Amino acid sequence: MQCLCGLNFKLKNKMKSFKLLYISVLSLFLFISCGDDDEAQLEGGQAILEFDNRVGMSNLQLNTSDYPYTNSQGQAFNVSMLKYYVSNIKFSREDGTEYTFPLSEDGSEGYYLVNEQDKSTTLLDLNGIPEGKYTGVTFTVGVDADRILEGAQTGALDVTNDMFWSWNAGYIFMKFEGHSPVSTEDGAVLEYHVGGYKADPKQPNLADNVKQISLNGEFSINENKKPQIHIIVDVLQFFDSPNEIDFSSNASRHTPAASIDVAENYVNAFILDHIHE
Amino acid sequence: MNRVFILLTISILFIVACGNDDDQSTNYWQVDVPEYFPEMVYTIENNPVTKEGFELGRMLFYETRLSSDNTVSCANCHQPYLAFADPVHVFSVGVNNQKGTRNAPPIFNLAFQSHFFWDGGVNHVDFIPINPIMNKLEMNESISNVVKKVNELPEYQDKFKQVFGKDSVNGEEFLHAFSQFLVMLVSDNAYYDQWMQGKYELNEAELRGMKLYESKCADCHGTALFTDGSFRNNGLDAEFSKDLGRAIITEYAGDEGKFKVPTLRNLAYTAPYMHDGRFETLEEVLDHYDHRVVQSATLDPLLVQANGELGIPMTDQEKSDIIAFLHTLTDRDFVSDSRFFDPN
Repeated sequence: MQCLCGLNFKLKNKMKSFKLLYISVLSLFLFISCGDDDEAQLEGGQAILEFDNRVGMSNLQLNTSDYPYTNSQGQAFNVSMLKYYVSNIKFSREDGTEYTFPLSEDGSEGYYLVNEQDKSTTLLDLNGIPEGKYTGVTFTVGVDADRILEGAQTGALDVTNDMFWSWNAGYIFMKFEGHSPVSTEDGAVLEYHVGGYKADPKQPNLADNVKQISLNGEFSINENKKPQIHIIVDVLQFFDSPNEIDFSSNASRHTPAASIDVAENYVNAFILDHIHE
Repeated sequence: MNRVFILLTISILFIVACGNDDDQSTNYWQVDVPEYFPEMVYTIENNPVTKEGFELGRMLFYETRLSSDNTVSCANCHQPYLAFADPVHVFSVGVNNQKGTRNAPPIFNLAFQSHFFWDGGVNHVDFIPINPIMNKLEMNESISNVVKKVNELPEYQDKFKQVFGKDSVNGEEFLHAFSQFLVMLVSDNAYYDQWMQGKYELNEAELRGMKLYESKCADCHGTALFTDGSFRNNGLDAEFSKDLGRAIITEYAGDEGKFKVPTLRNLAYTAPYMHDGRFETLEEVLDHYDHRVVQSATLDPLLVQANGELGIPMTDQEKSDIIAFLHTLTDRDFVSDSRFFDPN
């Protein structure tokens, strides 16, 4: 500090106003360089990704006392929980390039937990998007395998969200729970928990249920618009095609291999319905 | 002049403010090991160890309130004076005196390994505590409730302020604090290590034992960790309905009856041996490899000799020499390091 004061004394009579300007600019420069990356992201456009959970043509209602829904095998059921991870979101352009939303190192950005119980989580607020025309959206249902090797995370990936398998460490990508009179499980429950990834090339036999979904739809990002991309998620599709799921056998699934069929099905459940521009 | 001075001061303040927050604490601890150790695999860059963080992790390790009935801490089955192995039980005992299904392994040198537990179900140190906390037979809690519980305890709120600058933690911080204790549990000063560093003389039997170890044991129990970290069926049983081992995780029949190759370090403290603690002595273990290996579909090929016979033949003299060498892997400094003891 003293040293710098001495410097000031030396300079005090010469080009004082220029120095003032110089130091002001220096301060400003330091201030800007100090800025968090988050601030830079606030520049650019915005969009909302909406996940509208439904059962066929009906809105999904949780915790009904009766069984309002029927699967393709004619088995009645209700739903008490629907939670799933959405991550690694990309917007694609006509020329084949894409904008990839950043993932923060601690998992607090770029990972979303959609929870039907909490409607605010079904609307993903996206920002920092380069302006321009886009032709589609791509995202992962689940969590990429590399992320587990980073260790403990926070935000949507915080283990206190109870979306983590303790005995076979990994995120539970999707939890569907409900009841069906045909279920042979205690309490006639339906529990389809999907997870499973391959992070280790030496373990080729692990089930890999990380699913990427690409949906087409044209929209523009610019400062006057905040398009809302409306995605319908049809729970009936979880149990329908290509693998018909029978609620009367093995309706409590809590391991990667046990839910391969459900994961293969739910890639067809996500439909881009429309975009409000 | 004054304005120039103020601006300069502001500039300097920004430079200082720009510095990493971590610089506020100068008490970084390194995970120091001899150069013949493998590379650390723990993501220490995400969770650098500080003295305060380590001490918080230690409190959590000895905290019985992490269990559903507030009676079981990690230390119940992992005692520091036994290299963090179980002092009395063949199988781990959890809440309501329930018996687990496996013998609690010792805990050290975790930062250098990529899979944990006998079946390798956990592949990162940060996620180790979740396994016993949520196991119904062990601590029988949910991780969200455990974090909620500690956030309500005044003695932890003070610690959280020291370590994280706030009086409550999220799941990441809770697990990071735990890991700061776990990765510091390094055992690298056995007689063997002192010999490697020219500070100790091995006797004749120990040297003969080392040669035998190299030819008969090191294929699986190699590296400075004395395990290759792989999963193998070492011929204990002909069928595995009691415990499928690695196949529980991989859901692959080819992994049935395979378990993580355990370290040979600190064996003198960690009896009984094997995933189910079936052998009480090292003599029994070597007898098993010598003439009790059982055939099964997933038996490790290294336990089948060229003539088709099973096991690793050893004379009584060879067994005695191998055991002499195994005792040089005993690290008295590690088990008497008071930094790792119960803080209460």
